[in-house]
Amino acid sequence: MIRTSGPLVEVAELTVRYGAATALDRVSLTVGVGELVALVGPNGAGKSTLVDTLSGILVPASGSVTVRGRLAHVPEGRQVFGDLSVEDNLRLGGWRIGERDTAAVYAVLPALTELRRRRAGLLSGGEQQMVAVGRALMSRPDVLVIDELSLGLAPLVVADLVRHLRELNAWRGVAVLLIEQNARLALDLCSRAYVLEAGRIVAEGTSAELAASSLVSDAYLGGVVVDGE
Amino acid sequence: MRTTALVLAAAAAALALPVVLDGRQLGIYVLAGLAAMVTVGLALLMGFAGQISLGQASFYAIGAYTAGLLTVNGVPPLLGLAAAPVLAAGFAAVVGIGLLRLRGHYLAFATLAMQLILLSVLAQSEWAGGAIGLQGIPRLSVGGIELDEDVHYAYLVLAGLTGTLLVARNLVASRVGRGLRALATSEVAAGASGVPVGRYRLGVFALSAAFAGLAGGIYAFYLGYLGPGSFPVLLSVEYVVMAVVGGLGTVSGGVVGAVAIVLLVQVLNDIGTRPGMPSYAPSVLSYAVYGLLLVIAVLYLPRGLVPALSRRDRS
Amino acid sequence: MANELAGYVITGLGTGCGFALVGSGLVAIYRVTRVVNFAQGTFAVIGAMCASSLLSVLPHGIAEPLAVLAVALVGLLVGFVAIGRPGTTPQAALIVTLGLAIFAYAVVVLVWGDQPRSFAGVPGAVTVLDGRVQSHYLLVIGVTVPVFAGMALFFGHTDLGRALTACASNPYAARVIGIDVRRMGLLAFAIGGALGALAGVLLTPVQQITFDSDVTLIVNGFAAAVLGGLTRPAVTLAGGLLLGVTQALVAGYGNAAHQTEIALGLMLAVMIGRAARRPAALEEPT
Repeated sequence: MIRTSGPLVEVAELTVRYGAATALDRVSLTVGVGELVALVGPNGAGKSTLVDTLSGILVPASGSVTVRGRLAHVPEGRQVFGDLSVEDNLRLGGWRIGERDTAAVYAVLPALTELRRRRAGLLSGGEQQMVAVGRALMSRPDVLVIDELSLGLAPLVVADLVRHLRELNAWRGVAVLLIEQNARLALDLCSRAYVLEAGRIVAEGTSAELAASSLVSDAYLGGVVVDGE
Repeated sequence: MRTTALVLAAAAAALALPVVLDGRQLGIYVLAGLAAMVTVGLALLMGFAGQISLGQASFYAIGAYTAGLLTVNGVPPLLGLAAAPVLAAGFAAVVGIGLLRLRGHYLAFATLAMQLILLSVLAQSEWAGGAIGLQGIPRLSVGGIELDEDVHYAYLVLAGLTGTLLVARNLVASRVGRGLRALATSEVAAGASGVPVGRYRLGVFALSAAFAGLAGGIYAFYLGYLGPGSFPVLLSVEYVVMAVVGGLGTVSGGVVGAVAIVLLVQVLNDIGTRPGMPSYAPSVLSYAVYGLLLVIAVLYLPRGLVPALSRRDRS
Repeated sequence: MANELAGYVITGLGTGCGFALVGSGLVAIYRVTRVVNFAQGTFAVIGAMCASSLLSVLPHGIAEPLAVLAVALVGLLVGFVAIGRPGTTPQAALIVTLGLAIFAYAVVVLVWGDQPRSFAGVPGAVTVLDGRVQSHYLLVIGVTVPVFAGMALFFGHTDLGRALTACASNPYAARVIGIDVRRMGLLAFAIGGALGALAGVLLTPVQQITFDSDVTLIVNGFAAAVLGGLTRPAVTLAGGLLLGVTQALVAGYGNAAHQTEIALGLMLAVMIGRAARRPAALEEPT
C-alpha cells in the first residue's frame, strides 16, 4: 500500500483559518509506518480542525498535508449511521475502495459479530465506538486517525478499545494518530506525542519524555483529566 | 441622516404622485400601495418572527370579503372597512393557535393549505357569491362624501400604508420588537430569557393579517367586485417574492420590494401586450420574472435589496 | 351499493398512487438533502406535457419512459440550482425550489400553452366486484406497486441506495467515509424528478393536466409524505392511498367539491398532531 518512502502522514507548517480566526498556526507533525502517535491538548486547541483537514473536509490556508497510503477517520462522537444496521455501517466504510466483505473486520473485532443485525443507533456508546473503528477498518487503512476515543465512555470500555487498537497495531501494522483530551490514556497507548494548544504545537517528544516534563504533567496529568473550557 | 432624507423624499414623492399620474398609472399606484401594505406585514412575520407564510393572500381575501359583504348588506362602508383588519386578525389568531405549532416547511404547507381551503369554501358559499363572487360593492363614503375617483383611493392607500408603517416601526423599536429579534435568532434562547415566544409569534401573525386585511378592504371598495379568483395561491407567492426581494427584517424593505416588483411587472406587461406578441406573453413574462427574482434574491441577496443597498444604516 | 363502493375504492387507489409517487419523490429528496422540494408537482406536470408531445411521434410504452427520463434530468437541474451553491440552507433551498416552480410555469406555458392537456391511456373499462372502473386505474396501480417495491430494494440493499440512506442518516459521517454528499443530493433530485414525472404520466389519461396542476399534486403528495415524517417511502404509499380513497369516497357519496377540504384538513390535523407530540424547540428550525 505504501507508495513512497517517508512518513505515512506528514503535516508541514499547516495553517487553517475560519474567516479571520486562525484555528491552526504552522502546525507540523508526522506519523511513521506502524507508529502510534498521540496529539493531546485541551478543548478548542484545534484538534478537530486538524482531523478534518487530514480527511480533506477542510482546506488549508497554507502549508501542506501529505498522506502516503490510506487514511481512515474515526470521528469525534462516533457518528455512526444510526438508522442502519451494524453490517450496513461496516459496508459503507468500504465505499471509497469498493470493499464489501466485512468478514475481516468481524475477525478483528469479534464483539461486533453478534451485533451485526442491530441498528447502530440503539447500541451503547462503547459498542458504537467499536462500530466506528470497524467502519474505518473497512477501507483497509494504513493509518487510523481517531478523534477522542475515550470521550463519554466508561474506563473499562476504553480499556477494551485500547486493547483492540494495540492488537491492530501489532498484528496488522496499522498506524494510529490518536487525538485525545485524556493525556494519560494517550501517553499510555502511544510511543510519541504532540501537545497542541491554541492552534500551535507547544511540545513534542516520546511519551516518556512528555510524561516527565513539568509542562505536560502539570497541565494534563495532574491527577484529574483536564476537561477544557 | 441619510435615511431620514430618503424617507422624506419618498414621502414627498408618494404625496405628489397621485396629482400628476394619469388614470392607468393611478391604478398601478393603488395596487403597489396595497401590495406594500401586505408585504410590510409579511416581512415582519418572516424577518422578525422567522416564519414563512404561503397563505398571506388569505388574509387579504378575508379583509376584502368582510368589507364587501358588510356593505352589500347595508352596513356603512366605513364600518365595513374598519371591520376588515379586525376580522382578518381575528381569523389569524384563531387558526394561528394550531398552525403556529408548526415550523419551516410544515408551516409553509399549512398556510398554503389554509388558503386553498378558504378559496374552496368561498367558491361554494352562496352567501359569499360562490364562484362568481360579489358584485356591486358600493364605493367608500366618508361623512356623506363618496370616494369615487381613483385619486381618492390613491390617497386612501397612502394613508393606510402610512398607518401600517407607523405601527410596524413602533413595534420594531419597542421592547416587543427586541424580543422578536431575539426570537428570530434563536427561539430556544429567546424562550429561556423570558420572551413569551408563543404569544409573540401569534401576535405578529395576527398583526400581519390585520395589515393584509386592511389592504383587502380598500381593494374591495376600489374595484367594486370580488371573487375567489381574485386571490390565487400565486398572489401569496408574489408577496413572498416582494418581501424577500425587499429584505426581511426591515420595515422599509416591504415597501421597496412591493413597489419595485409591481413596477417591473407593469413594464413587462406593457412589453407583453404590444401588438404582435402572443396572448400568453404577459403571463409568461411575469411568471418568469417572479420565479427568477425569487431564486436570485435567495441565492445572491439573502438579506434583500434594502440591507444590500444601505449597509451603514439599517432601518 | 357494494358495486359502487368497489369502483370508488379502485379509482381512489389509482389517484392515491399518483399522490404517493409525488410524495415519495419529496421523501427521496428530503431524506438526503433535508430540502422539501416545492417543484415536485412541477415534475409531474412537465412529465405529462413531455409525454403528450412525445406520443405524437412515438408509440405508447416508449414515449412515457422517455418523458420520465427527461424529467429526471430536469430534477438534476433543479437540484443544481437549489443545493449547488455551498452554504445554501435547506430553508433557503425550499424558497429556491418555489421560485423554480413558478419559473417553470413560464416554460410550460411557452412550450405547451395554458390549456389542459391529456392523452389516451389504457382504453375501456373493466368490471371489478360488479363495479365498473376505467381500466387505466389498474395500470396506475400495477406500475406503482412494483416501483415502490423496487425503491425498497434499492435503498435497503444496494451500495448506492445505502450510501443515499447514509447521507440521510448522518451527512457528516458520510463525508468522513468519502461519500460525496452533494453528488448524492443531486442524484436524489434526479430520482425525485423521475418519480414525480411517473405520477404525471400515469395520471394524465384520467385527469387532465394544466400548467398549474402542480399545486394540487404537491399538496396531496406532501400530505401523503407527512404521514411518514417525510422520511419513509412505505408510509408515504399508505398515506397516498388513504388520501386517494378518502377523496374518492367523499366525492362518490358526498359532494365532490369538498374533496380538497377533506384532504387538506387531514394533512393539517396530522401535522399539528405530530407537532403537539414533540416540544416546539425540537422541531425543524425555521
